[in-house]
Amino acid sequence: MGKKYSTLLTPLFAVPFLISGCGTGGTTSTPDSGDSESGVSDGVVTVDFFNQKPEITAQLEELADMYNEETDGNTRVTITTVGSGEGSAGLQARFSSGDEPALMMLGGLPEVERYSDSLIDVSELDVTDTLIDGTLEGGTIDDIPLGIPLNLEGFGWMYNREIFEEAGINPDSIQSYDDFAEAVETLDSQKEELGIDEVFAFSGGENYIANQFSANFTSPEFNESIIESYEAKELNWEYGDQMKKYTDLFNQYNVQPILTVDYSRSVEELFVNDKVAMVHQGIWIVPTLNDIDPSFAKEKLGLLPVYGESDTEGKIIAGAPFYIGVNKNLDDAVVEESKNFLDWMYTSEEGKEMITGDLAFVPAQEGYEPEDISDPVSQELYRALLAGETGAMTHKQYPDGWFQQVLYPEYQKYLNGDQTWEDFEMNTAEAFKEMR
Amino acid sequence: MKGKHNTAYYWAFILPSVIAISIIILIPLLLGIGTSLTNSDGYQAVFTGLENYQRLFKDEQFISSMWFTLRFSFVAVILINAIGLGLALLVTQKLGKVSTIFRTIFFMPNLIGGIILGFIWQFIFVRAFEGIASATGISFFSSWLSDSTTGFWALVIVFLWQMSGYIMIVYISFLANIPGELLEAGQMDGANNWQAFWKIKFPMLAPAFTISLFLTLANAFKVYDVNLALTNGAPYGSTEMVAMNIYNTAFYQYEQGYAQAKAIVFLLLIAAISLTQIFLTRRKEVDL
Repeated sequence: MGKKYSTLLTPLFAVPFLISGCGTGGTTSTPDSGDSESGVSDGVVTVDFFNQKPEITAQLEELADMYNEETDGNTRVTITTVGSGEGSAGLQARFSSGDEPALMMLGGLPEVERYSDSLIDVSELDVTDTLIDGTLEGGTIDDIPLGIPLNLEGFGWMYNREIFEEAGINPDSIQSYDDFAEAVETLDSQKEELGIDEVFAFSGGENYIANQFSANFTSPEFNESIIESYEAKELNWEYGDQMKKYTDLFNQYNVQPILTVDYSRSVEELFVNDKVAMVHQGIWIVPTLNDIDPSFAKEKLGLLPVYGESDTEGKIIAGAPFYIGVNKNLDDAVVEESKNFLDWMYTSEEGKEMITGDLAFVPAQEGYEPEDISDPVSQELYRALLAGETGAMTHKQYPDGWFQQVLYPEYQKYLNGDQTWEDFEMNTAEAFKEMR
Repeated sequence: MKGKHNTAYYWAFILPSVIAISIIILIPLLLGIGTSLTNSDGYQAVFTGLENYQRLFKDEQFISSMWFTLRFSFVAVILINAIGLGLALLVTQKLGKVSTIFRTIFFMPNLIGGIILGFIWQFIFVRAFEGIASATGISFFSSWLSDSTTGFWALVIVFLWQMSGYIMIVYISFLANIPGELLEAGQMDGANNWQAFWKIKFPMLAPAFTISLFLTLANAFKVYDVNLALTNGAPYGSTEMVAMNIYNTAFYQYEQGYAQAKAIVFLLLIAAISLTQIFLTRRKEVDL
């Protein structure tokens, strides 16, 4: 009988054995510390940092190593990166699977709110006291600050100074929409001499570009306030006419078909190679430009504001695209070390050096010399921020999925001539109300 | 006693598969049905009954995605099978080594992942086609992927490219299994190649049709990777297929419950179409 059963059970046992046989090698050699789960083991605190910006992974890892040395190996910061628009989904997956990160980058108030029950009040951190006024707003829910701004970014029309000068245009003399339109026409009339394909390479094939562009016109509607745009129940396109005017202008002088112009073509191919004079982009393209042509950002790059509110009031949209939140659901030791790491990253000398150096951030903290910042455009932005001359990143506060599912497709329809501007405004406004 | 013994063996061998299928298919399916009755955002959920299912039928984007997917599948299934069978007939001619080389070449695209295929073809449509258009002035080649008609055909072309070689392999194996004496008998009776194909090979291929149609149908409905890499729904969501629509609902709008409801309806639809197809094509199969 016993023999019978043992033969009977063989296939049953064989299968799991075979399956697990393949996996044992990896798991036994690295007990616990092999994965990125936050926790404490053998006196070493592991803090997992959920990063949504793939372009800074290497620098963050370097910071993590530096901090590990700083704490004599007692704290291990691991970096998990999920980016390119899939970051929020990746973060949600981490939470719903129970493998919560200790530190997480959150984009905008809707995301901060989603995790608000799991986040600590950051006002107790040292770094909080050093922030530029107003930068904490985008991480604040019900008057409680829940996130530290990662850095500051800004966007507008990025232009090629050299091409402008060759065409005889002084960028500093552009003080209104009409000046801007005139400059565009001047550039267009000299296309051949300047060796450019077109004036603009607006990426009509990237949803986030349409989203960022819209902030130029929704920021004044929401009084340049992140909180106000987050709480807004509707969007009335009060400054829609300005947006239409701009859209018609660049669409006429853009590389066509505009809907297939993607980021890499617009920036890495046309803009950096002097084939177009302008793109609607932000300062995050500087590291990419530096990789391709180290002198470009230093010598040729400029940033023009968008006249969103009226023909004479131009602003650069700036703010913190991401906030770092600290998870309070984990071990006290992990929470404590997470806070220490953040403070160290932003207030220690090594950390600060990294921020203006390899990370090439525009810091959200006061007390930096504009000259310390990596390139002229970023310096310009830091000055404008300190002086309060920037618009708000209202595009980060739209209802979940609205820009991907509504704004972008509807905007594409207009760019392609498949619907009127009135329909664009109506359809997007309706969906905004519905999805809020 | 003997019967019982066999039953025990039967279960012992089948149990691992049953466990595996339960864990990765059945249980998630049941959980999914549960989620589809709530307004879950992946975090919190409140039971809302059939509300999600009612909402579905008024969701224009979902309906247009569904319609797009149906049209895509219809065209893709017919063309893939026609091309796959055509290629199979070509490479089973007596050509010696050359035919092996061709088989490999035709099969090759299937070895490349959908994402990479999508990006390769995006380059072809956007850059190479545009180059041809500006060099020759033929407007047919310009603006691919920037309108919904060419977007549709672009997806079809890439999917054909990916799947035809695979289906060809299925047809080759069935063609090779047709008994030589049947064809010889046909020849003796004076059948030409054309008649031999339609009267002998074609009916003998019925089981191959069952398999190939099933594979292409199910795959065409579920396309996501090619869709993502090639058009990502552009222009303006008009080439967004159902799988992508469901993903976007779940992870951009955070409406997990609603997305699940869409997925369940989608599952029922694919199951209904596939089962009908299998039932219909099975009846055509002939026994020797």
